[in-house]
Amino acid sequence: MKLVTFFHDEQERIGAIDHSGNIVDLINAYASHLRKVDKAAAAVRLAAATLGSDMVAFLKHGDKAIDAARIAIEHAATDSAGDNVIERQRVRLMAPVPRPGALISAGKNFSDHVAEMSSKKGPAAPVAFLKLPGSVIGPEDDIPHPPEVKNLDYEVELAVIIGKPCVEVAAEEAMHYVAGYASFNDISARDIIRGENKSGIHLMGKSFSGFAPMGPYLVTADEIADPQNLRLWLRVNGETRQDSNLGYMIFKIRDMIAYWSQMGLNPGDVLTTGTPRGVAAGRKPDQAPWWLKPGDLVEAEVEELGCLRNRIVDELDCGK
Amino acid sequence: MKLYLGLLESSLPDQTRVFGELDGQLVDLQIACAAYLTQAQGNQANAYELASYYFPQTIAGFLEWGDPAQKLLDQVMSFVGKSGVRELRGPGGEKLAYESTDIRVLPPLQNPEKSFVIGFSDRARSEALPPAEIPTGYYKLPQTFVTTGAPVIWPKFSQELDADGCIAIVIGKAGKRIAPEKAWEHVAGAMLIVDITARDINKREGLTTNNLLGKNFPSSTCVAPALLVGKDKQDLLASEVVFSLDGSVEQKFALRDCVFTVEQIIARWSILGIKPGDWLAIGASMARQGDRLQNPVPLKIGSTIRCASPAIGELSHQVVAAGGIRR
Repeated sequence: MKLVTFFHDEQERIGAIDHSGNIVDLINAYASHLRKVDKAAAAVRLAAATLGSDMVAFLKHGDKAIDAARIAIEHAATDSAGDNVIERQRVRLMAPVPRPGALISAGKNFSDHVAEMSSKKGPAAPVAFLKLPGSVIGPEDDIPHPPEVKNLDYEVELAVIIGKPCVEVAAEEAMHYVAGYASFNDISARDIIRGENKSGIHLMGKSFSGFAPMGPYLVTADEIADPQNLRLWLRVNGETRQDSNLGYMIFKIRDMIAYWSQMGLNPGDVLTTGTPRGVAAGRKPDQAPWWLKPGDLVEAEVEELGCLRNRIVDELDCGK
Repeated sequence: MKLYLGLLESSLPDQTRVFGELDGQLVDLQIACAAYLTQAQGNQANAYELASYYFPQTIAGFLEWGDPAQKLLDQVMSFVGKSGVRELRGPGGEKLAYESTDIRVLPPLQNPEKSFVIGFSDRARSEALPPAEIPTGYYKLPQTFVTTGAPVIWPKFSQELDADGCIAIVIGKAGKRIAPEKAWEHVAGAMLIVDITARDINKREGLTTNNLLGKNFPSSTCVAPALLVGKDKQDLLASEVVFSLDGSVEQKFALRDCVFTVEQIIARWSILGIKPGDWLAIGASMARQGDRLQNPVPLKIGSTIRCASPAIGELSHQVVAAGGIRR
């Protein structure tokens, strides 16, 4: 399944992409099934209680919600009437998990990226930092360029969405806890991070509003045969900047889940893999700079997971 | 005024209520407000609706209404005081005052967007006097919050745990890029925090200037239990916080001792935008003691920690081994 969160009629809704690329409203479609097949009363309320009202609740509801979603998609294929199916272009896609409980982003996790950032060697244990959940945006939303930032950078990554409570699991078991995957872009303000590191630790430089585009959908884990072997790439204004494969990760997805499960992971938490080489910060002084500027279009994509297309806009122009 | 968030014994998890403390009783503010509107204002028609508008189910929701709700809070509580906290009932005869032991008290702000502790990496700490240029900080995940009485569980992955008593400045008014001279206009009040650190992990993470596992594990953030609102700036700056371990005082500080001012901290972190219910905590380890900073306090399994301030409240926790709690 390709699960989405979308915005329609002033409401945030959960949905799935159907065979023709349109959006099944999961609660409406499941309610329609309940009314017609089970003759259920108050079907919308029962559907919402089964599926959950947002993606984190949906993931918390576990297999029962997944089964209901499959039924809803099948039902919508035969009965697309009313508000069961909505045309893709009539909605705004949000990030599939618009408000993760925790957003844990790996750093220094591709050897070629470690080299371009001039670190001596890779870390001995997984390295990661928290991005604020509030920095998450959808696959086609604008990325505001804050006026404080001079060195705005991009990092294409894989987002791994946790589907079950996960505490101190072994690497061998870790993949059972994955709900699915999405493309992710870890937007970074390098100059802010440098300034923060001089005084202590960094947080702000990774967490401005809009610094975490995710989506366009959550592809459930059963549809991805080998998540550790997916190509990922990023283009700025059509020019390829990053092009690599998740096979080059230093700590693999299962190692990351096992390590960070020590802090206790919950459904809807998101781990991101770290990025390969090709970021703007890796440019040499004699090369033309690659920093993102207002007007740039950033396209980040992981094979099989769909593309993020985000335009950089001056933050001070936002909302005008 | 101290505000609490809590559940009645029979409440579903999402049916939180906001309480104000008066004469040692916890007053259900929604019902007290309805009583005030009916009895003092003669408003029979929509007292319950207005009461749930001004006193929604969360403290963050209450803070969002800003000054009018704060004024109404004062009026309601003074009405409750005059009527007698133990005698007064809601418009339909509802009970509105409880013993604190009858309420399951929760961390007052359940899911703030920004819950930051201002602090240094260990490396920067040793170079922190004279002060670092900017008040950096780290994010404490809401899933790590516990409140008074809950055990602090020693994580299996650490050999070295310590604690730092903190005061959190709680935001009451949204803003972005707030000028230092306007900073206090955005402060609703303060609450206590104990920031628990797995120091051995934190030292390792510090090499890459990250703070994650060492700062974010279950029960690593002890919060409140009360949010103090309605105090003025000078009172908050002077409120002394005492952190003690097994009865012996280990840290003592007030906000005015911190190497960064509240104005500097709000000006810096409001660059990201802040809103009601967000908090920024400052610990004893950021507070001067003579010409140096105070240290976090090493813990042992079985330790009892207490973080208290006469005005703001008191947190009390016991440190227990990881095996003590089953998942």
